[in-house]
Amino acid sequence: MTTPAPLLVSKPAEPLALGVDLPMVDQPAVPFIEIETLRAKEFIPAAKEALGSLIAEQGQAKVIRPVFNWAGRNSLFPLHWGLACCAIEFAAAFGARWDAERFGVVPRSSPRQCDVMIVNGTVTWKVAHKLITLYEQMPEPKWVIAMGNCATGGGPFRTAYSVVPGVDKLVPVDVYIAGCPPRPEAMLDGILELEKLIRERKE
Amino acid sequence: MQPDDVSRVLAPALGPKLLAVEPFAGMAGRVRFERGAALELFPRVRDDLGFRHLSMVGGIDWVDHREVFYVVWSDAAHQYLLLSTDVPADNPRVETASGVWPSANWHERETWELVGIEFDNHPDLRHLLTPDGYEFRPLLRSFKLHEPEELEVKTRHV
Amino acid sequence: MSEMWINMGPQHPMTHGLWNLRVKIDGEMILDVDPEMGYLHRGIEKISEDRHYNEVITLMDRCCYVAGLAWEHLYIIASEEALHLEAPERALYLRVLCEEFQRLASHLMWYAAFVQDIGLMSPFLYGMRDRDLILDLLQSYTGARMTYEYMRVGGVRSDLPPGFTDRTRKVLDWLNARFVEYDQLCLGSDIFHKRCDGLGILKANDCVAHGVTGPMLRSAGVPRDLRRDRPYAVYDQLEFDIAHADTADVTGRYLVRMEEMRQSLRILRQVVDWLDRHPGPVMADQLPRWLGAPYAPVGNEGYLLKRHYPKGLGFSAVEEPHGEAQAYVVNEGGEHPYRVKFRSPVFANISAARQYLIGYRVADIPPIMGSVDVCVGEVDR
Ligand code: SF4
Repeated sequence: MTTPAPLLVSKPAEPLALGVDLPMVDQPAVPFIEIETLRAKEFIPAAKEALGSLIAEQGQAKVIRPVFNWAGRNSLFPLHWGLACCAIEFAAAFGARWDAERFGVVPRSSPRQCDVMIVNGTVTWKVAHKLITLYEQMPEPKWVIAMGNCATGGGPFRTAYSVVPGVDKLVPVDVYIAGCPPRPEAMLDGILELEKLIRERKE
Repeated sequence: MQPDDVSRVLAPALGPKLLAVEPFAGMAGRVRFERGAALELFPRVRDDLGFRHLSMVGGIDWVDHREVFYVVWSDAAHQYLLLSTDVPADNPRVETASGVWPSANWHERETWELVGIEFDNHPDLRHLLTPDGYEFRPLLRSFKLHEPEELEVKTRHV
Repeated sequence: MSEMWINMGPQHPMTHGLWNLRVKIDGEMILDVDPEMGYLHRGIEKISEDRHYNEVITLMDRCCYVAGLAWEHLYIIASEEALHLEAPERALYLRVLCEEFQRLASHLMWYAAFVQDIGLMSPFLYGMRDRDLILDLLQSYTGARMTYEYMRVGGVRSDLPPGFTDRTRKVLDWLNARFVEYDQLCLGSDIFHKRCDGLGILKANDCVAHGVTGPMLRSAGVPRDLRRDRPYAVYDQLEFDIAHADTADVTGRYLVRMEEMRQSLRILRQVVDWLDRHPGPVMADQLPRWLGAPYAPVGNEGYLLKRHYPKGLGFSAVEEPHGEAQAYVVNEGGEHPYRVKFRSPVFANISAARQYLIGYRVADIPPIMGSVDVCVGEVDR
C-alpha cells in the first residue's frame, strides 16, 4: 500500500507566546520561578518561607491571586455541548489540525467540572432556561464565550420567532467571537482573549 | 405510473370525493380529494397503488382556506405521489394518517403546531418543536416576523 | 425494581446536538423512549417566506450544518422547478461534485463522532484530519469551510480555480488508502464488535412503515437510493453502486456508510474527469435580472422591484448523507417563496426511536443513536 504524502495540511502554526509565563510582570516575584531548578525537597520549605514573608509584606490577595489566575487560565475546561452549526467548528478545533488541547482546553461533559461555557450556536427560547441552569451549575469563577453571530446577536435568525437575539440576554458574556461560523483559529483566538481577561482578574 | 393509472384505481372507490388527479412534474400525480374521504383514500393508496412509504405531511395557509398535503413513495414504481386536500380556515380538521402510515405521527404533530391543523384521532397530538403551551401558529400568514424586541411577547415563554 | 423516566439531554455527550431523549428504565433495561425535539427550532420555513429566492440559500447551509451543500442542492432543484428555470450542464456536474464532497465530509464527521461514542479516541483524530482535507478543497472554490452559499437559482456562483482537479485526484487517492486504515481501527477492534453487533435492529418492514431512509434503510437490506431510483442532476450518467447490508444493526450502518464513501470517491473521479473535458458556462443566461447574480444591476434596484413570475410548484428529493430529503416550494409570483416545506430524513429516523431502542440497555443508547447520525439542525429547522 503506497501512501501518498499528506498534502494541503496547513503549515505548523507559529509558536504562540504562551506557556508558563510566571512571574507576572507587574507582580512581586514569587518563588515559583525556581520550580525547575530546585528539587521539591528543598523547594517546598523555601517556597513556604518566601511566600510567608511576601504575604506578610504585601497581603494575601496580592500574592495568591496571580498564582490562581495562572493556573486557571492555562487549564480552561469548556462545557461539552453542541448548540448548532458552530459546534462543528468547535469540534474541529479539537481535531488533529488545530488541537485545542495544546492550550489546556479540554471539554468536559459535566457543568460541575467546567469553568467556561462556550455558547456555540443559536440559542432558542426553548433551551434558554436549560442554558441558565447549566450556567448556574458551573462553579465559580466562570466565564462565557459567545461563539458565532447567533450567540452574539441572533445572526441570520435574528428575526425568527423562536430565537434569543444574543445569549447576553440570558447570561453575562465575557468574550464575543464573530463569524458564521468562526473558523477554529478564531475560536482559539477567543480562548486566548479570555486568558488575557483572566490574567487581569483582581478580586 | 401516470395520473390516469392513479385515477383508474381510486375513482371507482371514492366517486365524487376524488376531485382531480393532476399531472405534477416528476411525480405520479397530484391527487386532490375531499377531506371526508381521507380514511377511504389512504389505505387504497398504500395497498392498491403500493405507496407504502409516507415521506412528509405539511400544511399551507392560503388565508381563505388551508391545504394539507402528503407525499408518498412507491418502491415498485420508483415514484412519488402528492395527495392534497383543502380544509376551511375556521375549522381546520382532517382525519389522521398515522393509523395507515405510522410515520405520519411526528409530521402531523409538526403540522398541527405550526400551521394549526387538527388531526382527528391522532394518538399523541403534543408540541414537538415549539415548547409546551406555545399558543401561536407561526406558519400562518397572519403571524408576522418583527425585530426581536417587538416580538418579546410572542417568543418569551420560559 | 422500580421504573422511572430519565432525561438524556439536552446537554449530554450522547446527543451530538441539542435534543432530549427521555428514557423509561427499569434498572438497565429500556422500557420506553420519547425523544423531545425543538431545542434548535429556528423557524427556517417561516423566515424563508420573508426572503428573496437566493437569500434562502443562506438558511439552507445552516439548516443541516454537516451537509449544507446537499441541502442547497435540494432547495435549488425545487425552486428552479417552481420558477421554470434550467441550469447549464456544467453547473449540474459542479453540483454533483459539491454533493459528493459533502457526503464524504458528513460521513467523516459521523465517523469521528460515532467512534467516540463507543470509546475509541484515535479514529476521531483521523476522521477530523481527513475531513479537513475535503473542507480545504471546498474552501478553494466556495470560500468557506461550512457555510458555502455556492449554488444559485439557475446555476452555481463560480467556476473551479485552476489546478483544482489535480488536487482533488490527490486527495481522493489519499482517502482511498485511509479507508483501509479506518476499517482496521474499527472492525479490527473487539470493543467495536462487542458494543455494536446486533444492537439497534430495525428490520426493513419497520423502516418503511416509519419512514426511515438513508443508511439505516440500506443497512436493513433495501438498496434504495434516490440517486439511482429517481435520478436528479446528472446522477443517471454516472456509474456507482448502492451500498447495502442486511444485518440491520449498528455494524451494518457502519459498513454501509464506509462503502458509500468509497462509492463517492468513484463518483468524484468521474465528475472531475468530465469537468476537465467540458468547459462552459455555469450560470443560465436569460435569467431574470434580479435572479442572476452575474447580471445583477449595480445598486440592486432590479432586485428591489416587485417582480411577477409565472406561478408554479416545485418539488425535489435528494439523497443527502443522512437519507432522503425533500423540499416543496410554492411560488405565487413574487420574489419570495410563498411557502417552503422541507422533509428531513433525520426527523423520520428519530421518530422511529421506539422501534430500535426498546429492549436494549442504557449503555447501548450511545452506539445506537450514534449510528443514526443525528443532525439536529435539520430536524428542528
Ligand atoms: S453563527 Fe452561523 S454557523 Fe454559528 S450557529 Fe449561528 S447560523 Fe450557525
